[in-house]
Amino acid sequence: MPDSLTVEESPLEMLLQEQRSLQTPVGQFSEQHASLATQSKASFYQQLLPISKPKAGEQYAFKVELDKCTGCKACVSACHSLNGLDEQETWRDVGTLSGGCGDQAYSQTVTTACHHCVDPACLNGCPVLAYEKDAETGIVRHLDDQCIGCQYCVLKCPYDVPKYSKKLGIVRKCDLCHSRLAVGEAPACVQACPTEAISVQIVNQAEQMSAARSGGDFLAAAPDPAYTVPTTHYVSQRTIPEDVHALNQHALRPEPTHWPLVWMLLLTQMAAGLFLFDWLFLGPPVLPLLAWSLLLLGLIASTTHLGRPLGAWRAFLGLRRSWLSREIAVFSVFFFFASAYVASQLWPQVFSGLTGYLSLATTLSGFAGVYCSIMIYVDTQRPFWAGLPTSLRFGGSSLLFGLLAIGLSRLLSGESVQWIAGLTWLLALLKLGYEAYQVWGPHSRAAKMTPTKKSAALMRGPLQAILHLRFASAIGFMLLLAPFCFGAQWLLGMGALALLLLITEFSERVLFFRAVAAPKMPGSIDT
Amino acid sequence: MKLYHQIKSQLMLQQRGGVLTDRLVQSPADFGLGQLPKPLQPDAVVDSVCGFCATGCSLKVHLQQGAAINLSANPDYPVNIGMACPKGWESLAPLAASDRAEQPLLRDASGQQQPVEWAQAMDVFCSRFKAIQAQHGPESVAFLSTGQIVAEEMAFLGALAKFGMGWLHGDGNTRQCMATAVVAYKQAFGFDAPPYTYQDFEESDVLVFVGANPCIAHPIMWQRVMRNQRQPEIVVVDPRKTETAMAATQHLQIQPKSDLVLFYGLAARIIELGRTDADFIAAHTQDFAAFERFLADYSLEKAAQASGIAIEELDALAHLISSGKRVSFWWTMGVNQSYEGTRLAQSLINLALMTGNIGKPGTGANSITGQCNAMGSRLFSNTTGLLGGRQFEDARHREQVAERLGIPAARIPSENSLSYSEIIDGIEAGRIKGLWMIATNSAHSWINQKRFARIREQLDFFVVQDLYATTESAQLADLVLPAAGWGEKEGVFINSERRIGRTRKVRQAPGQALSDFNIFRLIAHHWGCSEWFQEWSSPEAVFKILRDLSQGMPCDFTGITDYAALDQAGGIQWPYPAQQLTAILAGADPKQRRLFEDGCFYHPDQRAKFMFEAPRAMPEPSDQDYPFLLLTGRGTSSQWHTQTRTGKSAVLRKLYPQHAYVEMHPDDAARLQLADNAPVSIRSRRGQVVATAVLLTTVQPGQVFMPMHYRVTNQLTADAYDPYSKQPSYKACAVQITPFIA
Repeated sequence: MPDSLTVEESPLEMLLQEQRSLQTPVGQFSEQHASLATQSKASFYQQLLPISKPKAGEQYAFKVELDKCTGCKACVSACHSLNGLDEQETWRDVGTLSGGCGDQAYSQTVTTACHHCVDPACLNGCPVLAYEKDAETGIVRHLDDQCIGCQYCVLKCPYDVPKYSKKLGIVRKCDLCHSRLAVGEAPACVQACPTEAISVQIVNQAEQMSAARSGGDFLAAAPDPAYTVPTTHYVSQRTIPEDVHALNQHALRPEPTHWPLVWMLLLTQMAAGLFLFDWLFLGPPVLPLLAWSLLLLGLIASTTHLGRPLGAWRAFLGLRRSWLSREIAVFSVFFFFASAYVASQLWPQVFSGLTGYLSLATTLSGFAGVYCSIMIYVDTQRPFWAGLPTSLRFGGSSLLFGLLAIGLSRLLSGESVQWIAGLTWLLALLKLGYEAYQVWGPHSRAAKMTPTKKSAALMRGPLQAILHLRFASAIGFMLLLAPFCFGAQWLLGMGALALLLLITEFSERVLFFRAVAAPKMPGSIDT
Repeated sequence: MKLYHQIKSQLMLQQRGGVLTDRLVQSPADFGLGQLPKPLQPDAVVDSVCGFCATGCSLKVHLQQGAAINLSANPDYPVNIGMACPKGWESLAPLAASDRAEQPLLRDASGQQQPVEWAQAMDVFCSRFKAIQAQHGPESVAFLSTGQIVAEEMAFLGALAKFGMGWLHGDGNTRQCMATAVVAYKQAFGFDAPPYTYQDFEESDVLVFVGANPCIAHPIMWQRVMRNQRQPEIVVVDPRKTETAMAATQHLQIQPKSDLVLFYGLAARIIELGRTDADFIAAHTQDFAAFERFLADYSLEKAAQASGIAIEELDALAHLISSGKRVSFWWTMGVNQSYEGTRLAQSLINLALMTGNIGKPGTGANSITGQCNAMGSRLFSNTTGLLGGRQFEDARHREQVAERLGIPAARIPSENSLSYSEIIDGIEAGRIKGLWMIATNSAHSWINQKRFARIREQLDFFVVQDLYATTESAQLADLVLPAAGWGEKEGVFINSERRIGRTRKVRQAPGQALSDFNIFRLIAHHWGCSEWFQEWSSPEAVFKILRDLSQGMPCDFTGITDYAALDQAGGIQWPYPAQQLTAILAGADPKQRRLFEDGCFYHPDQRAKFMFEAPRAMPEPSDQDYPFLLLTGRGTSSQWHTQTRTGKSAVLRKLYPQHAYVEMHPDDAARLQLADNAPVSIRSRRGQVVATAVLLTTVQPGQVFMPMHYRVTNQLTADAYDPYSKQPSYKACAVQITPFIA
């Protein structure tokens, strides 16, 4: 503002106008900086980068000197700012390890980003090959435009690295600032660490692999490196106490529900169960039609989980490694056979003689699909989603709905449902019993925090209401079912059973997603 | 059309590039910024000093068409050498918050704050304050200011209120952070003069940190410690094993408030060992003999008993401090926020003086300041000291100021302002009826916070000037004035090592928000006193006034002719007198200058003074009913004070716990049957709050720690003050803890 203008002339308007005017400082400020900055900046981080490029069998990796990391978290915000991430998006995290007592009390902040694993779980799980491990640098890169936003990598990565953006409909992650490294510039976090705790080094992939898979150390309280063989090296001269733990170990944060997946799983499993019992007992023609409709709804539900469903057609690309690819492929086959089977019932003259085969093919492909669904979760290596509990849940749902459907149809045609009711009752008990074990089993009272204990604590704590719904409706279902085991033929009761089964299985599936203990790098105080 | 493009873009089997990839693809940026994503390529950059803490880091603000789009740490500034903490990196985020105050808000008859035009806001502001002054006397109004605004604005506020509007009382939130250091330095050195330069972190052999956690409170200062190539001993004196204690070579985990006995014991032992710097004491200090006599009552035994530290460890420390190596003492709020903080700070100054550890590289008794411009307020807030580090009581000082400002000397009060706590007392006693609060949040931060809410009822008129109308204080206000923030205005900050640096306007303020500077101009106009402020037309014009006012004072920076000179030099430490300009420039590295290299202090006899006094008992020790001692302090590097700004950044929010928590020892928790991460009820004699228990062995049994950033914390703290600095003693009060039952 020129000095000659005084406030008396038109005070408010003038001041507001002055407030709104921005200088155009191009000429004023920038010249002096243009030349000198790069050199002075580069000299700081030169010794934090490897002097050569990785040779065959080698790759770039982060190295973190824990003794230098003091928890300032500049790495997190520098990464955010220099990489142009979205407002909520961060690719680095800082957690705290704690333990020891008295003079030996230990507290250590830990900075963590993508570990650019030798055997990356994200890459292995991706159905559309949107990840690649760079042949020269070993950097695990995400191809943003190839991504369909299925978020399976989020479930697969044990370090909580890929971050899903609802706005963009895709996942993004740390790429070790590959384009900076390519021109000899340090990654944003390395540049920004005031104590030079983060550096980039070259590691031998075979050595990493054998160390990780023979029980080598990665970082206390971090997930087992054997799964993905992370390449980050955490080094420290300090003695780390035996009882070291992450500061957020007792924080109970339920995982996301994934509503479309809840619906998709339940509907496709219902369909598979219905087709099975239809094949076994030759149910009324309406049964396959109902099963087909459920399957269709389930598949539609599954696409609403995708951030960019239009690219889902590429899902076959990952068949070699990804259970999600396989699930999508098998469900496509399932749907094809199911459609053909239903059509063969509607137009028997066209499909003369094929109906039986199509029914069998539908059933087999349906259960192959359920198997793939199970494997998707088993393959995440999360104990709560291990083979037995997941098979009991998914397979159990399928059989329960199938049994109930065939029971209903037999009831309508006046046939006895006694043994079907008995079988259903036993199966419901088995399924509920194992879930009760997950909630109240001895692991829930373990001295140390474990993933299974955390799942139990989540269900008994923040997810208590859903747990109560699951158990109350299941017990109600079994109580109401009991008379049928002894010969009752009560149609209205069967209808109520169907409703109760829907409620209880639905709440079971919500718990399945919300109560899983997702592995993560050690976190900070979480309130 | 959009759908068509979406479909088309997904027809390829392998889509290696595209719109999503392009968002992050990097290319080399100009201005030495390295690789940056395409959307973030700046067309200009400008350096601006950060507006959070007193480290005073320079941020390189990236501009497109004059407006800031991003920033990075400035590699060429002697303070931060290319680094910044998360708050600095996120400096722009708080400006874009959705709850910015964009128009003045006036409380209507129904008690609701309603948007009004500036003209009406100014009419109400002036008429209400004038009416109060007319009814209750000119001394019945006060302002509470801040260490967060630029020096030009601080000076304008102090001058406007006191010389223009005829107010007597005004103080700042700097009372809560460094008043103790001010008094300690004034008494010991004759002027409020932190003697160090950051280079001292790198040149010290022994660094003693007392009540300081620079790893998270001043991470960029810790960077300088880590750059020290002399393999220094780093001694941390703190009741908690903080991040800094973890990183230190020695940690003295003392009992809270045993520090004064500890440092007197060390001083006694050094004298006993005959390891003082007798020459320095004789040539440059006074009252050492009295200090020596006083210390007869202190010993290592006494220190060991009070602090809980083994006598051998203390003896080794006494030897280390007096070894002739370069020893520096550093303190922050663990010292300043104490009921005997002034003497405690001086006990460190005494140790430095008696061992000759001052005025040389890597030495000093060094107060690390809190807020970005606390040091500016120490010289120019015109509250409890007259502009330029002068005294209101001194007629000669009043003459000097009156002459430079072109105002009658009679307009300058001849008595000092009440301090913050005395203003609060004055409101409670009904002597002060009108309060104007600028860029601070007393309703959250003031000790024994509930008392603040109570006394608000005693006020006839309460004005809050802030970026947000949502702060705890603004919500209590009768009138809210919308202010521009850091990045939306010009001016200078003075950092902890006395370095004057520029901060700049790189964003437009939202709506009708005005810079504090412009609000003061508007008020001067409406109050009818603008005739005295003709020269106060722009921040740079005021900077020149301040420059002139520094003349002849220890802080003399008359060598800094204008803003351009500051830009050229990249920040300049005071003193920088015009007559020495050539000498300074001809000398060694003018970017790093410490005080007292000639051994001359600012007392008339040029000697530093030993100050000491017998320690007193803690105001509120733990007892049977309140068995825990509550310590408070900073939580993480991503939180700033009452979270008014840091709470607005999504990135920073990810980096700190969202809700209040209390750190306690697992043994105490086991005794009370409290589980980790369980809610607990914490009660003091002043309030009861709920927080999450976090079990940690880094706190001692019998003590608990709560970060100050959560609103509930200060509902517990006890309002005790240092008698000299009037700084609140936030650090220790007695509490009881029970399981929370909903």
